[in-house]
Amino acid sequence: MARKQTKVSRRMLFTWFMLTGFIFLFAPQNLTSKFQLAFVHVFRWPLTIGGNLVMTAQTQQPLAGAASRSDTQYTNYIANLEETLAQERKKLKKLSGLYNTYVWEGTDYALADVITATVDGSRNELTIACRKTTGLAKGQFVLGDESIIGTISDIFPQISKAEVKLVTDPMSIMPVKVAEFKNVMKGSGNNSAKIEMVKNKVKVGESVFALKKPGFLDAPMIVGKVTECNRNQKNPSLWDITVVPACNIEQLEDVAVIIMNPQK
Amino acid sequence: MRWFRFALLILAVTVLQKGLLARWSSKPDLLVILLVFFAIYYSTSDAIISSFTIGFAADLVGSPMPMGPQIISFGLFGTLLAYLHRVIAIKRMPYQALAIFVTSVLTGALTHLLAYITKGEPVAANIYIVVFVTSLYSSIVGPFLFLPTAWWMRIKMNRFGRR
Repeated sequence: MARKQTKVSRRMLFTWFMLTGFIFLFAPQNLTSKFQLAFVHVFRWPLTIGGNLVMTAQTQQPLAGAASRSDTQYTNYIANLEETLAQERKKLKKLSGLYNTYVWEGTDYALADVITATVDGSRNELTIACRKTTGLAKGQFVLGDESIIGTISDIFPQISKAEVKLVTDPMSIMPVKVAEFKNVMKGSGNNSAKIEMVKNKVKVGESVFALKKPGFLDAPMIVGKVTECNRNQKNPSLWDITVVPACNIEQLEDVAVIIMNPQK
Repeated sequence: MRWFRFALLILAVTVLQKGLLARWSSKPDLLVILLVFFAIYYSTSDAIISSFTIGFAADLVGSPMPMGPQIISFGLFGTLLAYLHRVIAIKRMPYQALAIFVTSVLTGALTHLLAYITKGEPVAANIYIVVFVTSLYSSIVGPFLFLPTAWWMRIKMNRFGRR
C-alpha cells in the first residue's frame, strides 16, 4: 500500500519554526543556556582539539629577547608579590604591633581546563571544565599565568563547567589601580581594555592591578600592562589608557579560580 | 535534500566555528555561508527548514548570547533569500559574495537587536565594526566554499550554471 505523504505548506513551515524561535527567545536564559553548555560538553573533545590546533598554529618561534610564557608567568608572579609586599608593609605601618594574617592565607584555588575560548571583537569568554565545583560562585576572579584574566559569569555544576567573562570583554567592568590612581577598566574587545579619564599620564609598560574586593580578592593582583596613553578626545587634560592582559589569553590551556575563605 | 549529509555538515561546521575559529578575533561566519548556499541551491521548503536549523546551530555556539535571536534572524533572512532567488538568480560568484555580505550584515544586526530588546543583552560599542568585518570575511571566503559544499551535498554541477 502506498504510504500517504503529508504535505506541509511553506507558510505553515515558516510559522512553526518562527514559533519555535520565539519560544527559545522568551524562555528563561538559565534554561536555554543549558543547551549551549550541553553542546560544549558533548563535543568537548573535537572543540579542544580545534582550539589546540589554533594555538599550535599561532605559536611562533620566540624572538631573541622576547618573553616566553614561563617568563611572563614569573614576571606576573613577581609583580603580584611586590604589590602584596607593598600592601603588607603599608598595613604593618598602620597597624604596627597588631597581629596580621598573610593575605592569601586560607585561599583555595579551583583548577580548570580551557575547553573553548571565544575571542572576537564583540565577545571575549572562556568555557572551562572545573576539576571541582565546590565553592565556585559568580563573580570569582580567574587566574591565568598568575594574572587576573576575568571573572566567573556562569556555573553549571552538574556538568562541571563554568563560563569566564574575560577582562577584555566589552561588557567587563573592573575596578583597577594603575600608578597609584584608582579607576575603572572597561573591556574593549580585540584583546585589550581601556581606562578612561585618568588625571595624570601613565608610563607605557606600567602594571595594572585589580583592586581588592571583599570576599573575592584580598590583595591586588596584576591584570595587565599599559600599552598606550593618549589624551582624552573630549577633555584633553585627562588621559585614556589602553591595557593588554598580562598573559596571552588565547594561549591558555588551564586556569585557576580564586575561592576566598572556602567552606571547610 | 540529503538530510543525513546536511546534519553531518552542519554539525562539523558548528564544531569548527566554536572550536577552531573561535580563537581568531576576525573570522568568517561559516554558518551564514551555509545559510546562503542552501537558500540559493535548494527548493524554498528545504531552504526554510535548513535556515532555521542553521540558526539553531548558530544559537548553540553563540554563548554568552541567549538562545533564540539567531534562529529567528537566520530563519527570516534565509527564507527571504530563498524567495528572492526565485525572482533574481544568484549564480555568479560576485553576486553570491554580495548575497552573503548582505545576509550576514542583516542577520548580525537583527540578532543583536533581538537580544537587546528581549533579554536586555548589552550591546558592545564596537558591534558595527565586528558585524561588518565578519560579513566582509564571509563574503570573500563564502563563494569558494560553495564548491566543496556542493560536492558533499551531491548537487549536480549543472545546477550552478556558472559561466
